[in-house]
Amino acid sequence: MKKLFQHEIVDFFVKNSIENFVGVPDSTLKQFISYALKKKKVIITAREEEAIGIATGMALSGSNSLVFMQNAGFANSLSTITSLVQLYKIPLIFLIGWRGYLKEDAPEHNKIGKIQPDLLKIIQLQTKIISDKNWKEGCQWAINKIESNKSCALVIRREFYD
Amino acid sequence: MIRKEAMKIVLEEIGNDPIISANGFISRDLFELNEKKTNFYMIGSMGLASSIGLGVAIKNPKKTIYVFDGDGNILMNLGSLTTIGTIKPKNFIHIIFDNHSHESTGGQPTNTRNISISNIGKVTNFYVFEINDINYLKKILKKIKKISGTIMIVIKINNSKIRSGRVTLDPVFIKNRFMESL
Repeated sequence: MKKLFQHEIVDFFVKNSIENFVGVPDSTLKQFISYALKKKKVIITAREEEAIGIATGMALSGSNSLVFMQNAGFANSLSTITSLVQLYKIPLIFLIGWRGYLKEDAPEHNKIGKIQPDLLKIIQLQTKIISDKNWKEGCQWAINKIESNKSCALVIRREFYD
Repeated sequence: MIRKEAMKIVLEEIGNDPIISANGFISRDLFELNEKKTNFYMIGSMGLASSIGLGVAIKNPKKTIYVFDGDGNILMNLGSLTTIGTIKPKNFIHIIFDNHSHESTGGQPTNTRNISISNIGKVTNFYVFEINDINYLKKILKKIKKISGTIMIVIKINNSKIRSGRVTLDPVFIKNRFMESL
């Protein structure tokens, strides 16, 4: 996704009541995270589950949060999503960078990248993939979810090699 | 001193301040000792009480937030201590009931037998107290009311055969009334 759009996503969420961006950095999302960091809205955590915990505490206090992570970290978070976010019905937006989307991505991402869409389906976390073209609709959909007290995920594909 | 005994003394001092309590026997003891809407009982997601407490503390700077944690629990999320110690909330009191074991799963040993959780607290910017007896616990609970800072109280406890019942409340009910209480 282009740098400009990643910046616009931050602005869109800030304008639409998302007060906190908590997570573990990911290169697919780096423009998003760097821009949010400049706006002093970010907490970087050691692990993804920790980020979900902090965002949950903020949600309990009525403050809307987005949790960002790479899909490897999403796999780390499965137990936390099912036994905290879904069990207690905590409204959170997950923003996930999708490594392993391209077949020739680094080897450690291939298997988890391949099953990423199935993992989201199996745990019944409603998801939209966002791109340069449809990010605004996807982000608005996520805002609507959080306003109706539901959690959801937005996924950005890693469409480049480095 | 056993956990339930120590927790009872802590509860007498803290009144209706919000508590995030870790899963397992910690939430069960709290549920039996002092069931109230300002308790956020965790049922699953072991390790995350300190992180949830941090989120609540950041957003409620006028309230004092207590985290009831165990040694096995905090060892699963030691990274959270570096996040808390970086943000340094002045209204965060982390109480760790340390029995050097995973009592809820059968008393298997944890590594706090060999590595001091208090020392980890010190290097992560907490104001740390380590407690070995009831009188000192009472004294420290009074003392911390005059201290503004990120506080960790490690209470050394013994295992016990006393078992509290499970938390029988619906998780969504626990959440909703906790939110209303803030």
